[in-house]
Amino acid sequence: MKLIETSRRRFLKSSVALCIYASSSFGKNTQLFNQSNKVQTTLINIPYLCNMCRNKCAGFAQVENNKITKLNPNKFFPKSRNMLCPKGNAGIDAIYDKDRLKYPLIRIGNRGDGRYKRVTWDEAYEYIKDKLVNIIDTQKDNRSTIAYCNGEGFNKDEYIKFFGDKIGSSNFLDEGSICLNTKLGATLLTIGDVGEMDVAGSDFVLILGANRFESLITPDSIDLVNKKFVVVDPRATVTALKSSQYLPINPGTDLALCLSMIYIAIKNNLYNKQYVKEYFKDFDKLKSHILKEKYTATWASKKTAIPKEKIEQLTKDFFSSIAPLLYMGRRSVWTKNDFQLRRAMVLINALAGSINRKGGIIFGQPISLASEEINTPMYDNTKERFDLDGIVYGSSKGGSWLNFRDKVVNNTAPYPVKAMFIRKHNLMQNMPNIAKTKKMLNMMELVVVLDTIPTDTAMMADVVLPECTYLEREDMVVSFGKLEPSLALRNQVIKPLYESKSMQDILKGLGKKLSRPLFDISCKYDSELQDSIKELGKDGAYIDGGYDLTELYKKSITQRNKDIIIPHFGQKAYDNLVSKGVWYDNMEQYHKEIFNETYEYYPEDKKYYTIKRDYKVNCYLEKLSKNGFDPMPTWRDEYNFEVAKNHFRFITGRYVNFTQTATTNNAMLRDIISTNHIWINNKIAKKLEIKLGDIVEVKSPQSSVTIKAYPTNKIHPSVVWFAHGFNSTSEAMTNSYNNGANDNEIIEDKFEKIYGCATMHHTNVTIRKI
Amino acid sequence: MANYGMAFDYKLCINCKACEVACKEENGIDLGANNHRLWIDTTEPDGDIWDLDLTQTRYMPTQCQHCEDAPCLKACPNDAIYRDKNGIVRLYNDRCDLSLDCIKACPYDARYIDTRKKITDKCLFCADTRLARGETTTACQLTCPTKVRIFGDLDDPQSEISKTLKSREYFTLKSNLGTKPKLFYLE
Repeated sequence: MKLIETSRRRFLKSSVALCIYASSSFGKNTQLFNQSNKVQTTLINIPYLCNMCRNKCAGFAQVENNKITKLNPNKFFPKSRNMLCPKGNAGIDAIYDKDRLKYPLIRIGNRGDGRYKRVTWDEAYEYIKDKLVNIIDTQKDNRSTIAYCNGEGFNKDEYIKFFGDKIGSSNFLDEGSICLNTKLGATLLTIGDVGEMDVAGSDFVLILGANRFESLITPDSIDLVNKKFVVVDPRATVTALKSSQYLPINPGTDLALCLSMIYIAIKNNLYNKQYVKEYFKDFDKLKSHILKEKYTATWASKKTAIPKEKIEQLTKDFFSSIAPLLYMGRRSVWTKNDFQLRRAMVLINALAGSINRKGGIIFGQPISLASEEINTPMYDNTKERFDLDGIVYGSSKGGSWLNFRDKVVNNTAPYPVKAMFIRKHNLMQNMPNIAKTKKMLNMMELVVVLDTIPTDTAMMADVVLPECTYLEREDMVVSFGKLEPSLALRNQVIKPLYESKSMQDILKGLGKKLSRPLFDISCKYDSELQDSIKELGKDGAYIDGGYDLTELYKKSITQRNKDIIIPHFGQKAYDNLVSKGVWYDNMEQYHKEIFNETYEYYPEDKKYYTIKRDYKVNCYLEKLSKNGFDPMPTWRDEYNFEVAKNHFRFITGRYVNFTQTATTNNAMLRDIISTNHIWINNKIAKKLEIKLGDIVEVKSPQSSVTIKAYPTNKIHPSVVWFAHGFNSTSEAMTNSYNNGANDNEIIEDKFEKIYGCATMHHTNVTIRKI
Repeated sequence: MANYGMAFDYKLCINCKACEVACKEENGIDLGANNHRLWIDTTEPDGDIWDLDLTQTRYMPTQCQHCEDAPCLKACPNDAIYRDKNGIVRLYNDRCDLSLDCIKACPYDARYIDTRKKITDKCLFCADTRLARGETTTACQLTCPTKVRIFGDLDDPQSEISKTLKSREYFTLKSNLGTKPKLFYLE
């Protein structure tokens, strides 16, 4: 059978006559892409780091006459191993996207209606200053009245230094609480490190739900292709179809499978006793709990729909392997038991001894970079963040989006939040319940968006500041990897197009405008500062207290990189980062081609599989029981998978061509997959008389969407799925506007209480052909 | 002078289409659903979700076969199609009048109509771009996450492709037609 999203080639023969004189439905910018047969002589290649998704692959940008004409993989980077995915290749279309934000804009219409006027950078800064000074004055210098958020991995710390350390707000939010914080937290709390999965070193990989062939994370996705691996998923993803064994499962019941694996391993003494003896804390508690609850294969089979024999065999296969790995995915918060699920997954790895060793969860030895010291003001009147109230652990860095939003819209926050600075974080599409996000933004007196494209969120902004793309800027050097560590540098490939600027330049401009006026407000309300002024004078207190917001940007990024790299790693390391984009110790010696553009980065005996570290595997988390939660992974009846008659559980995920909302406007990627379809089991679809391409209405208790149908045998009969990131409501996003359906329109906004993460796979829907 | 061919370790393909995008970017292929020099034929299991036969899964990247006995070359009424010094089947763009005889003759569906240039286009092993610059990789080969393609000179016994074809079993597509394709699928 054929996938509708794939080959269109067969269409050609029958339609030759029709398309001879028809012009292409899309026109590329011919000025940029009209490649002649002669080869340019001015071709240069500049190393860069990709930003089309979270992964950050390394590449070389081919530049001809100041235009980027091709992006190619970088063979020197251990993490991405000489490859670029479809998104990485289509980066050119992100740079030269005609829809890009080109100039600073100030809103002239209502929020959301898309009417803006072009202004100068100074006018934009001036507008922000006037609003912000008024807000902070009204809030008596409580800097936390500003919330600021960032959805991009790179530059996040820079952004926090500006709005958190310098301006003084406690309210930073990032994508962690709508992505993977339960996984990070569960790993950290159980083995003391977030770790890194060594897929390459494992001889048996078990994957629950993660879709490494359609949501690429390197080197895992690359390494997996040569492995024996089992996939458990309600949907037969490409990863499942390429696996050694695929086990369909009831959604949200993976914890039952894991508990049963633990039960079988303990009951039958399959676990690594020496490792458990040496590293486990409270193993006796875990053992008696699991045995008492009797999580047998028969029990788990009823919960999961996986046959009992297969659960038993899977457990035996896993624990009898030399280096088994239970793979922890990303964007992973499915249901309210997610933290317990991730804990159980770490515990299974630990029971097999697959921690801090080849093929397991690696601690490794990442390269540490010196931090830059800045003088941070102390604000007397700044209040603490409130989004972790009611959350057991939570990330003190990125917080909890849904809890934050609830407290703002319900007016239950301890103080009003009046301004938001939103950088590359599409709040209007990225979390469940868009109406609520809109309500939150409408409560703000000032919304500023920094982005490269006119997202749905940008359409809610009062001021839009056009940031340049990743190929138009140099970023601070980044340390990658634990097993095969390296430094990598995003070099600037071309100068920013239009009037866009790098984030640092934007913050520098904003800082210049805001430093003194905001300091003046502190002078009014801050008694500590008033004392300092008495002692040092106003200018002295300003300098001494670190109120100059532009401190970090006095030096160029290039100079700051030199200052961080050269004293610690030498001039040669810096030169390598500039010419090759990558550096690690002994790179010239270690890096060699094995076969057909495949490289070795570290010799086997130099990889950091095992390091000396004192750590324990924590079976029992006291803090959880104190807060009324299960201290050890436990099944509750409320986790049972149930859908009412004629209802389906909605789950979400990815196509390989799209990351999130930013890539769905990419002309090249849209050309590969034109829209999203809802997957519905073929037998069910037949009963409902739904055929391929039919428009269906998908209705949840929250809202409804319409979308084209894809009946398939690749999905659980009680489950429907469609890919995240589609259907922008911003008309300025010409390719993604009104195209497909948005998952967060119908997902009910609920969050689990251990990390405050939005759960994504709990919503039941009905389907109706229209 | 070379005799370029390509081997596909096709079982490594994960159908991500990085090759297709890389090809389009490298060679300036117009956007549009029918425009591509390479594509991936997919076969996925029939049957019920609870009992899928995974051995049926097949992702098969393919493109112009650069046949030694190329039907398109013989079919063109304008002698627009030729084989270059590297064994690559090429087109004199100015001689093409879109008679479409080559498209009809090609048993592999390798050609499509480039409406902008008004020619029939297909894979050239990046002859106009990478090979012309003296590089010896194709865009599709290099970008591939799992390195499905092995590209090289079939006449050079030391090339990776020659060594691979010597040491591994392979098949060609529609070999019964006698076209002698230069794309080889590794078992």
